[in-house]
Amino acid sequence: MMRKKTCVAMLLAGGQGSRLGILTKTVAKPAVPYGGKYRIIDFPLSNCTNSGIDTVGVLTQYQPLELNAYIGSGASWDLDLNNGGVFVLPPYQKGKVGEWYRGTANAIYQNMAFIEQYNPDYVLILSGDHIYKMDYNKMLQFHIRSGADATIAVREVPWEEASRFGIMNTDVDNKIIEFEEKPKQPKSNKASMGVYIFTWEKLRKYLTEDEADKTSSNDFGKNIIPKMLADKQVMMAYMFEGYWKDVGTIESLWEANMDLLSTPMPIDLHDKKWRIYARNPGYTPHYIAKGATVSDSLVTEGCEVYGHVNHSVLFSGVTVEEGAKVEDAVIMPGAIIRRGAVVRRSIVAEDAIIGAGSVVGEETGNIAVVGHAVELPAGVSVSAGQQVDATTTF
Amino acid sequence: MLKDVMGVIYTGENDANLRELTLMRAIAALPVAGRYRVVDFLLSSLVNGGVRNVGVIMQKNYHSLMDHLGSGKEWDLHGKHDGLYVLPPFLTRENVGVYNGTLDALRSNTNYLSRSKQEYVVLCNSAIICNPNIEEFIQYHVDSSADITLMYSKDEGLLRDEMGSYLKVAEDGKVTEMEVEPTHPTLPNTFMEIMVLKREFLRSLVDKGVAHGHHAMCRDILLPMVTDGHARVNAWEYTGPAWRMDSVQAYFKFNMDILDTNIRRKLFVDTLPVYTKVRDEMPTRYGDNATIVNSLVADGCIIEGTVENSVLSRGVRIAPDAHVKNCIIMQDGQVHSGAYIENCILDKQAVIKRNARLIGPSAYPIVIAKNVVI
Repeated sequence: MMRKKTCVAMLLAGGQGSRLGILTKTVAKPAVPYGGKYRIIDFPLSNCTNSGIDTVGVLTQYQPLELNAYIGSGASWDLDLNNGGVFVLPPYQKGKVGEWYRGTANAIYQNMAFIEQYNPDYVLILSGDHIYKMDYNKMLQFHIRSGADATIAVREVPWEEASRFGIMNTDVDNKIIEFEEKPKQPKSNKASMGVYIFTWEKLRKYLTEDEADKTSSNDFGKNIIPKMLADKQVMMAYMFEGYWKDVGTIESLWEANMDLLSTPMPIDLHDKKWRIYARNPGYTPHYIAKGATVSDSLVTEGCEVYGHVNHSVLFSGVTVEEGAKVEDAVIMPGAIIRRGAVVRRSIVAEDAIIGAGSVVGEETGNIAVVGHAVELPAGVSVSAGQQVDATTTF
Repeated sequence: MLKDVMGVIYTGENDANLRELTLMRAIAALPVAGRYRVVDFLLSSLVNGGVRNVGVIMQKNYHSLMDHLGSGKEWDLHGKHDGLYVLPPFLTRENVGVYNGTLDALRSNTNYLSRSKQEYVVLCNSAIICNPNIEEFIQYHVDSSADITLMYSKDEGLLRDEMGSYLKVAEDGKVTEMEVEPTHPTLPNTFMEIMVLKREFLRSLVDKGVAHGHHAMCRDILLPMVTDGHARVNAWEYTGPAWRMDSVQAYFKFNMDILDTNIRRKLFVDTLPVYTKVRDEMPTRYGDNATIVNSLVADGCIIEGTVENSVLSRGVRIAPDAHVKNCIIMQDGQVHSGAYIENCILDKQAVIKRNARLIGPSAYPIVIAKNVVI
């Protein structure tokens, strides 16, 4: 018998993130590297542990290998516990039936037995797609105080962008009266962050009903939330202020990395009271050689810089050889920039090698991407916006 | 075979010449190379060699060492069986808690030795930084049918007057001569204070040593063995780089030496990773006007000034217009705007205020103690 938990978190990490192109060809989106030493999933996991939520189910489906290995025992986030901790939950065979997760709501439905073990009062639903620091416990207290059946975290977006989001129309007390997915004429600028708290008893009822409805697409945004609203359940909007970035596209992932180079940092990762934890690869300190220049950049342990780096983010174990130039670029773990190569406005994925004298990206235009473990030959050019994977020929 | 080896690290070495650096910590806990402690190297070597049971014998000012080692998790030494055993001195009627040498320390920990199940013991001191392949070392010992195998190095940087032990090694690996704390070493091979032997044999040596009132492993046990030949003592050569951490100068030299990429790669071998406690700092941030030359920098620093030939630990702040040359700055040290420091060692959380100037002679670097503000 497990000890009762007040709140269990369920992290939806099954999405492919196809708008990230070749970056998510072999890894799930939550495992995509960010900020020099993190992966996207470090943010919701660290938020959980910092918020005192110690039981987290991570629902995986697409390319789960790297994510599973990354999460491991959960020790990096202090989530290796006897009672609770982090659990990777892939779809599994149930009796004669085995099926993939058909939608976000179906994924939770299929794992009701996991949640029930802890007999929780509340369930927190998260996604592995965003960079933000949030105290989920404050949101939970708000949910409990307001006597809501469901609470949806929202943040105010610029009015002109509101039509790109799921918008919550609320009354003066932040009670949600209407939900509109990507409205053409938005009545509010409160956009859903994809962070929900449900009173578990209610959610269990709605998940069960939703599963029985063959016409449903088993999705929180499309089915569960509209249905609960229609039934006049108490739905509250919880206002979040602070940095929140969807890193769903190549451009936004690049921008989110560049955000860390502005002063002051829009998201404070030095914050000792709200550390973002990550799995540590155990490299030596980074080395900057004689003749190298490094300015306005983030450099992580294990890097060796002999060339020139400006306004860039270098992840663990990156090598920039002599005479190479890296500018406005994101260089992911283990990548090597060979002698004299120039990398601008680009993302170079894990373990990729940029051949000597090659030119990747341009001073303006879209972000160029060199994919995972691609060995770019010497002396070639990759133009702005181009994506290079192992099949690209030169 | 490999599961059948345990490790014992003795951390009670004399540290008087390290001055303020070891005032509040054992040599084993001394921060080095930007993110490690001295003990990390040997502890990682043992773990990389398949050792799963390691006892760390502590003597004095060991709080910082215990804090660093924790549960042994970072070295994968937190299993249900065996793992890391922290062995602080305990005072009993027979035991006053002050060890006069390794033998003395082992005597106080005979319970740990007899309770362990492994056939072999790798016994080491903690004041030499190196990264040997312990697996090869043990294999050599097992294959050679020696009673004891000592690890040695030909590195001349390890020779010291009046301290350490030195060996003459025959072609078949047998130790034929040994000098213990000679006025000037005349033998070329330095005993690295790492040896391997059967656990039962070590227990009998400890018992006999106690009966004879002996304290020192080298002088009282190994030397007579080599001299009268009643046990076979072999030696195995370690060819990697090694440093003795016995003075401020030696400490400074080690940190400066590893700025050389070739030397660094010989110590930090890919197949023998060095593990340490993780601090979860963000990557280091370089400002618009940062200048950085030939330096090692750990995570979590903010560098806006000039840094030359230096080693910076986690969380160090170098303000705009500050200039740091040939320095070692430990965790969370700060150098404020307009300050110039050269040949200095800043202990943890030391702060150099605005426009201060501090230039030490290169042969005798200035040590700024922990938490001191200048």
